[in-house]
Amino acid sequence: MKILVCIKQVPDMESRFKVNRDGTWIEEQDLAFRMNEYDEFAVEQAVQTKEQLGTDVDVTVLSLGPGRVTEALKKALAMGCDRAVHIQDEASAQKEPWQIAGLIAAYARGQAYDLVFTGLQSQDRGSAQVGVLLAELLGMVCVTTVIDFALKGTSVSVSRELEGGLKAAVQFDLPAVVTCQLGLNTPRYPTLPNIMKARQKELLVVPAADLLLEQALTATEKMYPPARKEGGLVLEGEIDDLADRLLAVLKEKTTVLRQG
Amino acid sequence: MEFELSQDHRVLQDSVRDFVTNEIKPIARQIDENHAIPDELVAKIGAMGLLGSYLPETYGGAGLDILSYVLAVEEVSKACGSTGILISAHTSLCCDPILQFGSQEQKQQHLPPLTRGEKIGCLLLTEPDAGSDVAGIATTYRQEGDAFVLNGSKIMITNGGYLGTGIVMASHDRGLRHKGISAFIVDLASEGVVVQRNENKLGIRGTYTTAFSLDNVRVPAGNLLGSEGQGFKIAMETLNGGRIGVAAQALGIAEGALERSLSYARERRQFGQPISEMQAIQFKLADMYTAIESSRLLTYRAAWLKESKKPYAMESAMCKLHASETATFVTHQAIQIHGGNGYINDYEVERMYRDARITEIYEGTNEIQRVVIAKMLTS
Repeated sequence: MKILVCIKQVPDMESRFKVNRDGTWIEEQDLAFRMNEYDEFAVEQAVQTKEQLGTDVDVTVLSLGPGRVTEALKKALAMGCDRAVHIQDEASAQKEPWQIAGLIAAYARGQAYDLVFTGLQSQDRGSAQVGVLLAELLGMVCVTTVIDFALKGTSVSVSRELEGGLKAAVQFDLPAVVTCQLGLNTPRYPTLPNIMKARQKELLVVPAADLLLEQALTATEKMYPPARKEGGLVLEGEIDDLADRLLAVLKEKTTVLRQG
Repeated sequence: MEFELSQDHRVLQDSVRDFVTNEIKPIARQIDENHAIPDELVAKIGAMGLLGSYLPETYGGAGLDILSYVLAVEEVSKACGSTGILISAHTSLCCDPILQFGSQEQKQQHLPPLTRGEKIGCLLLTEPDAGSDVAGIATTYRQEGDAFVLNGSKIMITNGGYLGTGIVMASHDRGLRHKGISAFIVDLASEGVVVQRNENKLGIRGTYTTAFSLDNVRVPAGNLLGSEGQGFKIAMETLNGGRIGVAAQALGIAEGALERSLSYARERRQFGQPISEMQAIQFKLADMYTAIESSRLLTYRAAWLKESKKPYAMESAMCKLHASETATFVTHQAIQIHGGNGYINDYEVERMYRDARITEIYEGTNEIQRVVIAKMLTS
């Protein structure tokens, strides 16, 4: 069985962000980067699947981006993936989901993967589109927001997280793309010996320029931090009157008093 | 000249940071208050490979380099100075001398249980009358058939209470001073090894600091480390390496204190502004960070020298000296920035202040570091 895990390297969310000069993305200069948190669950699920099925499984981890992303790939190798593919693209931050999915599909097509894991979304863009678009481009089934995963033969049973605390049980056959929600499993720490072993694993570099680039379907016009809120609403007056006015505001502008 | 960590080092740093954030940070205060690192944590540290970082894979180590070890001890110490020194003393003071001076057989026998964390290592050097003056060791050994028999007292033994593997320094003729000293690999669960007490301390309260008496402890002849009379040299070499580990611990404690000071200073408002915008606080933060960065450069460089098999005795003394004084300085300022809150244990810098203090004392007092540095400088 061939498994592909798609990961993204994102800025550490503890960072202090600044919008870049042309106002379309963040200034990346002084940021520390890490593996997208959702993707850690994807890597863990791929490695667990390999452990469940034994040696006849090959797990490839793939990431698209500039040179720095090999750090995230090495972490995935240390977690137990067998090989890594780096689609090298210095301008990945300017690409939109359709193009990213297109580049991944251009590599993955012909590799005959049975199962593809991705994170539900990235912590930086948060579009949640790449996994779904990739499935469409590869002609595979796609199941998103997975919080429980069980594989038996070529049949998969998953639990999906829906809105409002609901869950859905879904069954499907491979090949398929699965996008992973936080909490799907407990991602392992790469141990020191495994970090060392990961250095011996294959890391294939594929220049993005060698792959077919799709036309962008969307463009980022402007990126900006939300406007600072003014100092809130201050109610003044007699206490009885205040309570009524507060109640009115809560009813009108919020959902806290709505039933069901 | 390259001043950036490699990607491999960053992967390690990131992984250890995750481990520390989830497994150590939440219980650091409890470790201090209970005077103990939970056994489950020691087991997890072993499983993570933190007890054999730079030891070869043949002996169950991870096969990484000394800088990886430094980065790991630093990350751990940012959250917990006690756990940092557990790893450091185990690795530098016990595994390292076995690796450097042990026979093939000794390495195969003693290192795997240490790297797996089944045994925690320590060095039994200090005695009531032999601290900085190592040649004054009064513990004696004599050969009896196919064993050596050890007698004496050892004090201030970091990790001693685990009763794992100890490197014991003993003399067969005190009149020979340093030439009479030999080193032995001793299973501390052996008969005759008696724990006198585990000390109650100012800081690093999660660690064991143990006083032993050795009462006719029989050690198989095959456990002599190096050759007879080589003990002093082994001790000095071992301490040189150990100083890099202590520097890494001190660096981590200082970084932990700066992190907390920065976030506190950004949140704490007085006179209508965050105190981080006041020059009095800004100057403190600038001095703290500068001291930390200079300690880091000295420490990483000493690690690189040791890794490259170049002389590093002076550099290890310097990094230990500077990083430990930095830890004391930074944690002191951290409490000052926190004001009254810093003095109570909710904000952690109080613990860090106590943990930092020992780094100026063990693995050779800072007075001894200055002697070492000055001697090499002027000779």
